[in-house]
Amino acid sequence: MEAYWQWLCSSLFYDPGLAHRLVKMYGSPGEVYLRKEEELQKAFPGKEGCIASLCGSRASWSFEWEQERLKRQDIRFVSFEHPEYPKKLRNLTDAPCGLFFRGELPEEEKPAAALVGARDCTAYGSNGARWFARELAGAGVQIISGMARGVDGAAHRGALEAGGASFGVLAGGVDICYPESNRDIYMELEQRGGILSEAPPGVRPLRHYFPLRNRILSGLSDMVLIIEARQKSGSLITADYGLEQGKEVYALPGPVGSALSEGCNRLIQQGAGIALSPEQLLEELHILPGIQGKKKKKNKISLERSENLVYSCLRLQAQNLETICGETGLAPGEVLRVLSGLQIKGHAKEVYKNYYTRT
Amino acid sequence: MFCKVLSAGLGGMDAYPVRVEADVSEGMPGFQMVGYLASEVREAADRVRTALRNNGCPLPPKRITVNLAPAAVKKAGSRYDLAVAAAVLGATERIPTEGLARLMIAGELSLSGQVLGISGVLPLVEMAKRKGIRRCIVPTVNAGEGAVLDQIEVIGVADLQELMEILRHPEKARVTWVDREKLWREKRSMSAEGADDFSQIHGQAAVRRAAEVAAAGMHNFLMIGPSGSGKTMIARRIPGILPSLSLEECLELTRIYSVAGLLPEKQALLTERPFRAPHHTTTAEALAGGGKIPKPGQISLSSGGILFLDELPEFRRTALEILRQPLEEQKVCISRTAGTYTFPADFMLVAAMNPCACGYFPDRNRCRCTPREILRYLEKISQPLLDRIDICVEVPKLSCRELQGRGSSESSENIRKRVEAARQMQKERCEKKGMADCVNARLGFGDMERYCVLEEKERKLLEDAYERLKLSARGYHRTIRVARTIADLEQSERIREPHILEALGYRPPNRNDWMREV
Repeated sequence: MEAYWQWLCSSLFYDPGLAHRLVKMYGSPGEVYLRKEEELQKAFPGKEGCIASLCGSRASWSFEWEQERLKRQDIRFVSFEHPEYPKKLRNLTDAPCGLFFRGELPEEEKPAAALVGARDCTAYGSNGARWFARELAGAGVQIISGMARGVDGAAHRGALEAGGASFGVLAGGVDICYPESNRDIYMELEQRGGILSEAPPGVRPLRHYFPLRNRILSGLSDMVLIIEARQKSGSLITADYGLEQGKEVYALPGPVGSALSEGCNRLIQQGAGIALSPEQLLEELHILPGIQGKKKKKNKISLERSENLVYSCLRLQAQNLETICGETGLAPGEVLRVLSGLQIKGHAKEVYKNYYTRT
Repeated sequence: MFCKVLSAGLGGMDAYPVRVEADVSEGMPGFQMVGYLASEVREAADRVRTALRNNGCPLPPKRITVNLAPAAVKKAGSRYDLAVAAAVLGATERIPTEGLARLMIAGELSLSGQVLGISGVLPLVEMAKRKGIRRCIVPTVNAGEGAVLDQIEVIGVADLQELMEILRHPEKARVTWVDREKLWREKRSMSAEGADDFSQIHGQAAVRRAAEVAAAGMHNFLMIGPSGSGKTMIARRIPGILPSLSLEECLELTRIYSVAGLLPEKQALLTERPFRAPHHTTTAEALAGGGKIPKPGQISLSSGGILFLDELPEFRRTALEILRQPLEEQKVCISRTAGTYTFPADFMLVAAMNPCACGYFPDRNRCRCTPREILRYLEKISQPLLDRIDICVEVPKLSCRELQGRGSSESSENIRKRVEAARQMQKERCEKKGMADCVNARLGFGDMERYCVLEEKERKLLEDAYERLKLSARGYHRTIRVARTIADLEQSERIREPHILEALGYRPPNRNDWMREV
């Protein structure tokens, strides 16, 4: 049965609604496979193109070869009816008919949070994503994101840094690492989490697949956290799906006037939860293991006076040298000295020439 | 009759002797020139013949042969006309020939007999001095540049009549005399009240400090900032905070400009540090020097001063990559079929660039460049070139308040005093160890072991930095060199922790981890 599901998923991954209707009408994907094209066309008027390509795919489809190929590429497939299919997805109105994945699927019992945001994020966004992901993953929350540049990548990195599990939901096939610059994340996700997609292997991540993939992102999680988003942003689609699916939606507030936080702030205005700290989110998820102890350890950074002065000026947003000099009243040479020291100690980071953030 | 006169050719920075021989014999009347000549040299025959006729010396209807020896070297340029005229005059017995052997003659002739200026008079006269010649005759406009040398008489001639007069009565010649010490001192005091001054720059404390450190050690300097933040303004003021040129450096600089034919008229000695700002459409040849017989390019013309490359990523890759060798060796070698020519290129590179194509990154409200676009912009500058930049600093956009601020900033003169004190330390250190004068940026590995002794604490700090900040080997040494300069600015013989920390703050970005997480 799985083999027929795989055929149906591979051929109709871009229209899961139609796939479900087909299965409902004929009982099983196996039955759909045996029907004549004319019959299907008559039953689904208005879907001629989809049906035609579905029927056309039968000719070139080889069950053994496809199975073999998955095995060779180390990819697994679970259909909608498979016992391992994520329960969280099963209730969605347009649930994927099946999932291709490498690594593992998210564990059902463990909480999961989706962290998404802009690709061309600021240092505030990437630091924020990293921080939240690290803390949440450290407390056992699975971090789900889209492996894109910017916020998504930072979220995965944060989770992996904390030694937690993280899952990347791709818009194309799971054998295609997109973007190529996140190859390191891709390799690690395979080992320490999973990479999953509704699309069969070999499918290029086309622009219009991305919005659909977002419903899986939010569907797999218990909570959606938007880190940075412009007013018009794909991340907001994820937020909308989250709301539709009845998930908790949070947004990281940003400075008023920052174009990249406008979407988040607007979400908060519309009633989304406000993400103030990872601890607060953990509380909302009803897990708070050993955070007290951890917190104490964190505050024990011992710094010299001028270091403290400079460190207090550092934020999650990038601050430039001029601003820090102005705030501390120290000479630029002195500030540079302190910042180099802080970087060596690992408390600060230079994200662009003379722009610094906390770590 | 036969007659020979000494002239000189120019190959690269150095002149070589060329003997101009003329012979007049019976036979078919004609004027023939031989000796592996470029066409402009061959044309001298017509110029000389016409100029002589127009000055009352028509050539006899005889066979005149002129040879330029050595015949194996290609001769180009217009500087042989005057020598050809003198040799022909000697061969036709219009002038006495016995004095000619102790002369070096160079200059171009016009048809009316006027003597026109030529390039490279300084190295020409220098060569003559080396050869033991006591007297040189050059065009009047170039007489000053030759006269800055001592122990040799330089005589300027304005036309053919004057030349004949001098050759007939050598004792009446007026020797051009230039007091180079005076020129050198005068210019020094004049440049002190120049128009461009650091006091005109408001705010930008961090950049001013970085520029000071860069100037104190001749470190290559890169400024990153949005357009209109004052990068060019700052660059233009850096020559003003560099120490004044010594007399030897002035002579060396004048020599380069003399070879390039770019010496301003009536200026015998260049005394100010050059500031060259080639446009970003410039070619590799224009930067490094080019031509069949190469002439000095921009990097040589900025020797001792500043080569300013504004909009660094917009330069052609080939043009930028050509800077690598000169930045390491302070000279540039150009190979042609005729030979290899070496030009000095001891410049300080000052470069400016925008942070991204639109110029506003990391201000995300205005910059909508994607990370990939920003990376592509940065990638136009190769990592090896970036590695050769010692000091990199951001030039932020000024707030309106800073723009309106009155010029209360420090003047160039004050900064220059500190820079000079730091240079003095470097000089003394070199002298103590019996080395040639060497600025910190040019310290080799061996020199660094001697001059940049680190103690345990500092060594440990650098070790941590190397690991933590992922320095490259080149970056490691660069940090020590810059730290040495910062210590020199504080008149400290030892490099201490704060010096290293500040030096680390100036390190240029490592392209590979820069845009990864922003």
